[in-house]
Amino acid sequence: MIMTKNRILLSCLSLILITSSCKKDLDVSNDNLPTIGSTSNEPGLISLAGGSIYRNGFFDLKSSDGVYGRFWAGATGFHEMMGDVIGVEAANAYINQIGCPNKVTWDNGTVVSNPSAVNTQYNLLRSVNLASQQGSNPAFYEWAYMYNMIVAANTILDINATVKYSGDLPSKKATIQAWAYWWKGYAYARIGSIYYAGLIQNVAVKEGVITATNGNYVTKEAIIVESNANFDKAVAALTAVTSVADYKEILGKIIPDFCQQGKGGVFSIDEWKRNVNTMKARNLLVNTPLALMTTTQWNTILTLTSAGILSGDFIFTGRTDPNGDFLGTTIADKIQSSATATGTYKLSERWIQEFRAGDQRRANNVRTLNNGIGLFNTDRGNSFNTRYSLRNRGLGLAGVITYANTDAGANEISLCGTYEENELMKAEALIKLGSQAQIDQAVALIDAVRTYQGAGLPATALGLTQAAAYEELRRERRIGLAFKGLSFYDARRWDIIDPSKSRTGCVLITPAGVVNTNATINYGFLDYWDVPGNELTYNPASATSAPVVNPKK
Amino acid sequence: MRKIAILIAVLFCSTAAVFAQTTIKGKITDSKDGTPIAGASIKVRGENKLTISNSDGTFEIVTRSSKILDVSEIGHFSQTVTYSGTGNLIINLTADAKALSEVVVTGVGVATSKKKLAFAVESVNISNQTKVATGDVGQQLVGQIAGAQISSTNGSPGAPLNILLRGINSINRSTNPMILIDGLQVGATDLNSIDLNIIDKVEVVQGAAAATIYGAQGANGVIQLFTKKAKGGKVNIDVSSSVTSNELLNIGNVSKAKFHAFATNAAGEVTSSGGTVLAFDPYYGSYNANVGYSALSPTSYANKPYDKNLLYYDHDKMFLQKGYAFNNSIAISGSKEKMDFLIAASTNKQNSNFKGNGGFERSNLTTNFGVEIFKNLKFRSVTQLVYTKNTLNDATGRGIVYALNNTRPFANYDYKDADGNYGIYVGDAAGVNGQNPNYTNQYSSTLDRKVDVIQNFNLNYKLNRFVELDAKYGINYQTQQIEYRYENQEFNVNAGDQQFWISNYNPNASADATGEIDNIADRTTFQNFLATATIRTDFQSDFHLKIPIKTTTQIAYDYRKNKFSRFYAYGYDAPVYFPWNASQAGVYKVVSDYNEPFATYGLLANQRFEYGDIGGVSVGIRSDKASTFGRGAKSQTFPRGDAYLNISKFNFWQNAAIAKTFTDFKLRAAFGSAGIQPRPFDRFYRLGAANLGVRNSFTFPITSPDPDIQVEVSKEIEFGTDLGFKLAKTGNWFNNLNLALTYWDRKTENAIYEVDAAPSTGSGLLRKNAFSLGSNGIQASLNLNVLNSKKTTWDFTANFSKQTSKILSINGQEVVVTSAAGSSNYVLRPGEKVGQLYGFLILKAVDQLDPITGLPFISKADQALYEVASNGYVVNKTTKQPKSSPGQYSFGDPNPNFNMSFINNFTYKGFLSLNIQWDWVSGSHLYNQTKSWMYRDGIHADYANPITISGQTQAYTAFYRGIYQAGANNGTKDYFYEDASFLRLRNIAIAFDFAKFFKIKFASRMQLVVSGRNLVTSTKYTGYDPEVSSGASNSAFDRGVDHNTIPNTKSYTIGLNIGF
Repeated sequence: MIMTKNRILLSCLSLILITSSCKKDLDVSNDNLPTIGSTSNEPGLISLAGGSIYRNGFFDLKSSDGVYGRFWAGATGFHEMMGDVIGVEAANAYINQIGCPNKVTWDNGTVVSNPSAVNTQYNLLRSVNLASQQGSNPAFYEWAYMYNMIVAANTILDINATVKYSGDLPSKKATIQAWAYWWKGYAYARIGSIYYAGLIQNVAVKEGVITATNGNYVTKEAIIVESNANFDKAVAALTAVTSVADYKEILGKIIPDFCQQGKGGVFSIDEWKRNVNTMKARNLLVNTPLALMTTTQWNTILTLTSAGILSGDFIFTGRTDPNGDFLGTTIADKIQSSATATGTYKLSERWIQEFRAGDQRRANNVRTLNNGIGLFNTDRGNSFNTRYSLRNRGLGLAGVITYANTDAGANEISLCGTYEENELMKAEALIKLGSQAQIDQAVALIDAVRTYQGAGLPATALGLTQAAAYEELRRERRIGLAFKGLSFYDARRWDIIDPSKSRTGCVLITPAGVVNTNATINYGFLDYWDVPGNELTYNPASATSAPVVNPKK
Repeated sequence: MRKIAILIAVLFCSTAAVFAQTTIKGKITDSKDGTPIAGASIKVRGENKLTISNSDGTFEIVTRSSKILDVSEIGHFSQTVTYSGTGNLIINLTADAKALSEVVVTGVGVATSKKKLAFAVESVNISNQTKVATGDVGQQLVGQIAGAQISSTNGSPGAPLNILLRGINSINRSTNPMILIDGLQVGATDLNSIDLNIIDKVEVVQGAAAATIYGAQGANGVIQLFTKKAKGGKVNIDVSSSVTSNELLNIGNVSKAKFHAFATNAAGEVTSSGGTVLAFDPYYGSYNANVGYSALSPTSYANKPYDKNLLYYDHDKMFLQKGYAFNNSIAISGSKEKMDFLIAASTNKQNSNFKGNGGFERSNLTTNFGVEIFKNLKFRSVTQLVYTKNTLNDATGRGIVYALNNTRPFANYDYKDADGNYGIYVGDAAGVNGQNPNYTNQYSSTLDRKVDVIQNFNLNYKLNRFVELDAKYGINYQTQQIEYRYENQEFNVNAGDQQFWISNYNPNASADATGEIDNIADRTTFQNFLATATIRTDFQSDFHLKIPIKTTTQIAYDYRKNKFSRFYAYGYDAPVYFPWNASQAGVYKVVSDYNEPFATYGLLANQRFEYGDIGGVSVGIRSDKASTFGRGAKSQTFPRGDAYLNISKFNFWQNAAIAKTFTDFKLRAAFGSAGIQPRPFDRFYRLGAANLGVRNSFTFPITSPDPDIQVEVSKEIEFGTDLGFKLAKTGNWFNNLNLALTYWDRKTENAIYEVDAAPSTGSGLLRKNAFSLGSNGIQASLNLNVLNSKKTTWDFTANFSKQTSKILSINGQEVVVTSAAGSSNYVLRPGEKVGQLYGFLILKAVDQLDPITGLPFISKADQALYEVASNGYVVNKTTKQPKSSPGQYSFGDPNPNFNMSFINNFTYKGFLSLNIQWDWVSGSHLYNQTKSWMYRDGIHADYANPITISGQTQAYTAFYRGIYQAGANNGTKDYFYEDASFLRLRNIAIAFDFAKFFKIKFASRMQLVVSGRNLVTSTKYTGYDPEVSSGASNSAFDRGVDHNTIPNTKSYTIGLNIGF
């Protein structure tokens, strides 16, 4: 009896033992997400081509926070801070300090120095440009987003080489190539326009292996060359497209549906090529100090912009979308506020002062704070007290551009070149080339830009002097191209950011709320940032590398 | 083996049949209260006869000739009884209170007396302790486990504890130990969900040396809970009920400055910098302007009272309330010969210490049923059902405390507008980080419901006296449903004016006024199967050899499987009307639809030899495979070994005079290794998937995994000694003193963490086996029977823990991690302690030297511009601002130097008892980020403290604001890094038993208990509570920041325990 029971018991036990020891239980997998193998067909690669460029390039980063946000509010926002379009009170990632001038002189002669513990922007950037600062290092963002984009583009090209497409295979392959080269061109353009040196990175992501990099840093000039070379490859790929229908089919799937409205859409091959020319003109213009521009260079600008974006062309745009987008929020949306609040980003008095009287863009968008004046902590530099903020959704004036609109999908921003930028570059070249006819032609272009944005200003009189015309151009670049991450480029090339230089005639509010109209601001901002410590610590410069630190002290 | 055993058994049986036999029947009971003692062994002297008492204490044994029985039970003094020949024997055993006599199973697998243990196992009998009001097992154990650091780091109801057993062994995963109930892992249910009332005893093994038998999941140590079983005999009914009042501690007297430095006009009214008199707009519920305030001006003094247009409101009074906790429990138990049962139910209900912030309640139902199916085959089933409902709108409470501590005191948050609504923000005047918690409570609510099932089955078969087979299977299931609601806020005038609304998963560019609903459904199913075969031999009795050797062989198979899934959806643009549900939301989206499987299994073999009472040695090995192991899925083996020598059992010792005083002296040593599993998906490379509009798109992950990832392995060695003294030979005082002392040293290799990758690789982080960590420490416990007279007993226990962990090496660069509490950076750097904070130094001497360069921070030429102010800090004589180092330096290890607890238990005549526990944490530090933030807008009470600079005494705001700004705004600085050592009266409880006092027959117990918790704290820390930490619960490194964390509560409890 006992023996039988034993046997039953033992058999039961062994049975449980055997059945439950199945090794296959260990063979789990993460079935929540796609693998890199999921990208090896046409729809897979299309999904990657959109997601990796837009999200890895503009949105997904290990650091970032709700105060400065992602690429299109943070990394580009830093440019607007240093371009004195916006100021910030919040201290996250030192954003209250990267736009804090070295010195401010009031109308009454009172001098207020940068009150920060590290009291120059040069020293601040150097003291926080450390890997150990992680996401607190403002120099980290643009670098990391753009190399994400470059590696994504490399991978798209790599996979594209083996994907079997339906329809016209060469045309589809070429479309994908154009897409990847375009964004590589764009990413190198941004890197070369803000960092003193950069890396040429041609390695693609392979499953489970971290992408290799190299320590051969090259000069910012070489990065711009690389940018243009990629733009040229994009054009070559576009030229190779024979089946426009297949091209449009692919592009129509890559560009998110919510961006295919307004100025965004599936552009024609020629439209895209014109976008390339505008970007190449930008590469030249923003990386050359105004005083050093040669006639040859102005002529190059003229040539490129003459083949650049037209007013009716589709451009690269971004919007928010409740289902998911790549912006999160925009610079302008961070400046909007209602009656009492001032917004995370504060609108600079120096930006407001650029408006010509009667400009409908100001009427539509700029709101005077209910309190009269927004005054912020005095230890934040005194320079960004303001009477203004942006009006959410604008006043609704017909035909006038609206800067801020927090409704999902309502605010369209441009990601790359625009008609306005193209025309203003063209106008600047014409002014600098200098004949009265060219100046008059330039003034007309400036007016056209104003009309395009609904400024409602009367046409500028012809026969302006070169200086007067340039002042119109300067103001229009400040206003017409604001909130796009371009403002610092202008401040730099116009040579007002060097510690030895200053901007006079500034409107400035003192901590006591006194409005100054002829204050002087010594910005003292570094023209090109050092390569971020977040890169150098893990990827030190090789012996033959170009200098990674801007020699300016 | 089995055949031999059967053969021997048959031999014995047949031999026995030849002789005349007597059957002795009897019952074993406890001398104190007559409760039956199960599991006592009854041996017939001179015969190889042995039996074990049943659950109701009864036994039956057949003898040939001898009438002398040796009765023994661990936990009681042995007794020898002579059978008179008639009737049933009633044998009363006296309890042996000595800790060394306890029996433990955790870490050993086989029940072993502590006397024969070669490593430290802490055990606490909590069944008779006064229970903590939170009903949390972890809370109950605070201070009671020698060697462990168990900290109550957040005073919110239901908040988890920080449990650190031996050192920090993982950075990837927490310091959380594994929780077992009756031998099976509880893989889904939180420790604080388990009913404290059904726990009899807790055992804790702390390191790899003892936890090797748990293999790849044992390295953080094990806390094993043993459920109560019916004591036997008649049916018992135990009822307990208690009510507790809780009040948040504010040890450091955190408060807001009574005086301000805002611009004022001639009438003393606060104005804007432009001269506008500040006025509250009753329509918008906000101020008409910002205050004029030049915090950095050397002539700005915080010396003006709030007595004109701005008044001082005490926000603590406005928002804090007394919290109450109610605990009720009932347990019915009984047993009869082959069966025992226990049914217990309990409820715990607590409300928040913040007005309108909801509460927390938990109900537990437990059944415990044991039966002997046939001889030697026992079956037991323990079923626990737990229902937890949490309506805390701010679960950690930190949001509320932060909002209040960053609001200047003139904001009247009790103000309601004409529509009866609270405003969210009174304007920048009261501080840009302030926000009205009343608004949050008006417009949002939380409903978090959780059902836990813990079902354990155990089948145990004693095949014969050599072989015991045991199979355990446990299934632990948890389902949690969380709902967050945000009502439509479009009609709130203040919020509309300030463009400031609340939401949780807002899909728009900035928060909107429309309502939201979030539904989160989590499910965890954890299974554990454990089959064990134990073979015991006794060379003397089994093989008639004259050597006193006993062997125990244990072979086990252990299988664990977990499945976690989450479905998370939100609805947005909810309607303006009320009521509504998710189906009426305008936008609906699934945020997460996630499944995470995990499986592991292992084989264990352990061989143990004992030589009499003198010594023992054991060796073992465990081999595991797991779904988390990287490519190749090689198995991981964990070896172990231990030995002990009981010197006091040698004849030379026992014969020596010293043995009379120094009764026990044991030396022990153990080594072992155990693992910490990688996270379930640590090894898989997966793309991300993100919606771009209506289309799905693929993204590259921010973190690159390592497909070859390996289990984290912790290797430990420990040495210890157990000492027993009989201090007084006669009399009632100082009878016994036991001291257990253990030194341990361990090293974790392959610790997984995400190290930074160069951004140009397109990756943010690289997850790999990057770290090597080292820890060592001492744990000690002392038990003293101070007094043991007929009327009075007084037991004293002291527990000691000292431990330290450092990073030995990193495969890559140092890693900087930001505290979950905010912007404080921890740096993980080789050669340094885990969890050090880095920050700026505020100078304390004008000629202070840079510790790295050796050069003065202030150049000689400039030193004349500075002086040391009356508060000890260097200030600029002109600006009145402090001076900080330009760079950042380590502040040292924030973890304590040691923890100690002192526990006194007094009883008088069995009806009166008193328990007092003091906890002492020495050398711990906290970064007082609460204070740092309160310095930002001139809010902290310190602002009104005058200091003397250049002979002038003023409440210089430039100094205090200068501190906040020094180095970097909101940067970490040593000024806020404080000593958080403390001595705390953790517990004091007085119990009076009416049943015993009045000798009431029908009740076994009628006890009234009055207790207090955290009544006294002595500390230098200037925050609310030196025990808190704002880091993620059980974080390996994030243990040194206090950022508006809810302090513990001072509580008073009155309770009644009745037993029938």
